Amino acid sequence: MSLLEVRNLKKHFPIKSGVLKRTTGHVYAVDDISFHVDQGETLGVVGESGCGKSTAGRSILRLIAPTAGEVTFDGIDVMRASRAEMQRLRRDMQIIFQDPYASLNPRMRIRHIVGEPLRIHGIGTEAEQRKRVFELLEIVGLSAEHAERYPHEFSGGQRQRIGVARALALNPKLIICDEPVSALDVSIRAQVINLLEDLQDEFDLTYMFIAHDLSVVKHISDRVAVMYLGKIVEIAGSDVMYDYPQHPYTEALLSAVPIPDPHTERARRRIILEGDVPSPANPPKGCVFHPRCPRAQEICTTAMPQLVTAGSHVGGRHEVACYFPARFDGGSRVVHSQPFMDAMPASAASAADGAPASAPAASE
Amino acid sequence: MAERLLEVTDLSTHFFTHAGVVKAVNGVSFTLDRQETLGIVGESGSGKTVAALSVMRLIPDPPGKVVEGTMMLRGRDLRALSDDEMRQVRGNDIAMIFQDPMTSLNPVFKIGDQIAEAIMLHQDKGKDEAWRLAAELLERVGIPDAKNRVKQYPFEFSGGMRQRAMIAMAISCNPDILIADEPTTALDVTIQAQIIEVVQEMQEQFHSGVILITHDLGVVAELADKVMVMYGGRTVEYGSIDQVFYDPHHPYTWGLLGSLPRLDVVEKTRLTPIKGQPPDLILLPAGCPFSGRCAYERAECRDNWPAHELISEGHGVNCWIPRAEREETRAALPHFRSAVA
Repeated sequence: MSLLEVRNLKKHFPIKSGVLKRTTGHVYAVDDISFHVDQGETLGVVGESGCGKSTAGRSILRLIAPTAGEVTFDGIDVMRASRAEMQRLRRDMQIIFQDPYASLNPRMRIRHIVGEPLRIHGIGTEAEQRKRVFELLEIVGLSAEHAERYPHEFSGGQRQRIGVARALALNPKLIICDEPVSALDVSIRAQVINLLEDLQDEFDLTYMFIAHDLSVVKHISDRVAVMYLGKIVEIAGSDVMYDYPQHPYTEALLSAVPIPDPHTERARRRIILEGDVPSPANPPKGCVFHPRCPRAQEICTTAMPQLVTAGSHVGGRHEVACYFPARFDGGSRVVHSQPFMDAMPASAASAADGAPASAPAASE
Repeated sequence: MAERLLEVTDLSTHFFTHAGVVKAVNGVSFTLDRQETLGIVGESGSGKTVAALSVMRLIPDPPGKVVEGTMMLRGRDLRALSDDEMRQVRGNDIAMIFQDPMTSLNPVFKIGDQIAEAIMLHQDKGKDEAWRLAAELLERVGIPDAKNRVKQYPFEFSGGMRQRAMIAMAISCNPDILIADEPTTALDVTIQAQIIEVVQEMQEQFHSGVILITHDLGVVAELADKVMVMYGGRTVEYGSIDQVFYDPHHPYTWGLLGSLPRLDVVEKTRLTPIKGQPPDLILLPAGCPFSGRCAYERAECRDNWPAHELISEGHGVNCWIPRAEREETRAALPHFRSAVA
């Protein structure tokens, strides 16, 4: 059974305007996403700014209240949990934030920052808590002598270690890492990535790793979910995703990442997407990606495709939300000209019955 | 041979603060030829931006000062120019684009006003003509519906479009040198790819030399012809991109390359980060700034800056480890073997 199971999660932020602050629209930050994370694995969530990846992470922890959907953690229904149950749950679900400057209270000593979860949950005596804080600092590569200092005395990488120590304090099962290394310099970033990997092995942690940097996500994750405008468009094992991307957005995203190797870089073909990501307050009708998609056909404007297995790939479960996914039959890449009708959501399928049987050939 | 646009020799820029002297740039030399792209790579505080600002003579004084070195722009000594002459050089001969396009555009003026301002300042053009040129430039950098967009304010532009507008402004006077300071760091990858393409196209059209300042070795591998690696205000290694990526000689360069997760590598390899924390710029060791973090530190490293050593044509390094020993050490690094293969 999965440790974390997310079904049809939605978070729509109301847009209020006018003197009466009436709701005039919604920002569809997270719009109907489903996925699971198994015990001990790392699920990477990638996407560009505004795709809803951070909102998804926070909704799961109920740091912001989701609009709809089900979240099951370790068999417990998170959405219906009472206040007391939620507090108990939060021991097992922790979060590490992106900005190590904003997420540590500048007026608190490190000892208090790292020990705060222990105090809130009333774990151990004061002496035991102190001992635990020292232990946690050692675990993340700092030392007991740092305990009396304040956050401003530390560099970015050290602050992120403090954030990790705080997240570990209650022995959680799941840690949601929200862009934990994005603000760090290259050499320090590698230290923190290695630390997170070591901790996972040592404490059998499960990670949901949210980031915009595909190289980092591929490195640390077992599986990767690609988000675009509030939707998951593709989800697969991280190596499979890199070698056999099926969704045109995943292909473009992968091709856009510069690789630090001049020979490889010269030999690559880049797919450059036109234009910008549309506003999540006014997402396009049909598939959210169709206005920028090189493969878009008429069917793409009818309904958002569902996330389904398109088959013919190598290893593991690979799901994609696209009417024209790339297939890898016998190793060669094919894009069929016929739309992939399994992706049509049931509600829209009946309406599209009258569609012509032979759609125009998809050109690549 | 390509025309030499810029020759910087032994540049040192220091900041005199209450806490002490910050040697932000310390004896740095580089050259730039026409149509060439020089990448300056380094982490925060390595001095890469200060080096570029020194060339533009935009170092705030006080507290900053170019204390040493020469900067020759096509034979003209930039340090000897008056402020008025320098103002002519900026924009006309050297233009710069910055990391954050929102803070470098004025929010209360229309995009067109801001581009036209540069044109009117440097060229003998009237307002209408300048506005027409501004719209043309926006179109050239790939902004759709440029005729109407030119009348909009910066907040109406997305991040990628703002950076395009900055590029339009920078190329408005057809400068010889374009300095791009982390031009894509604030942008998403798909937008970054668009901007990289625009910079490449502009360089081809205008035959400019480009100085690209970045911490992203991927962007350097894609855009640059040669690269200079900076650490703690010093150039530790420089060379063509092939020399630096495939034959790196400085332990810091090894560390940088080993710290990068690679999208194109299938097997799970552990990253080999650089130990320790970034240096305190006020308390830099007198010798190699990387000593203290370097895994191969020797007795002489901390107090003496090593002599420059030429590895091959156009490829140099400053390191105390003897060359033979360096090559041996490097061959044993896990990430290096895969880089050569």
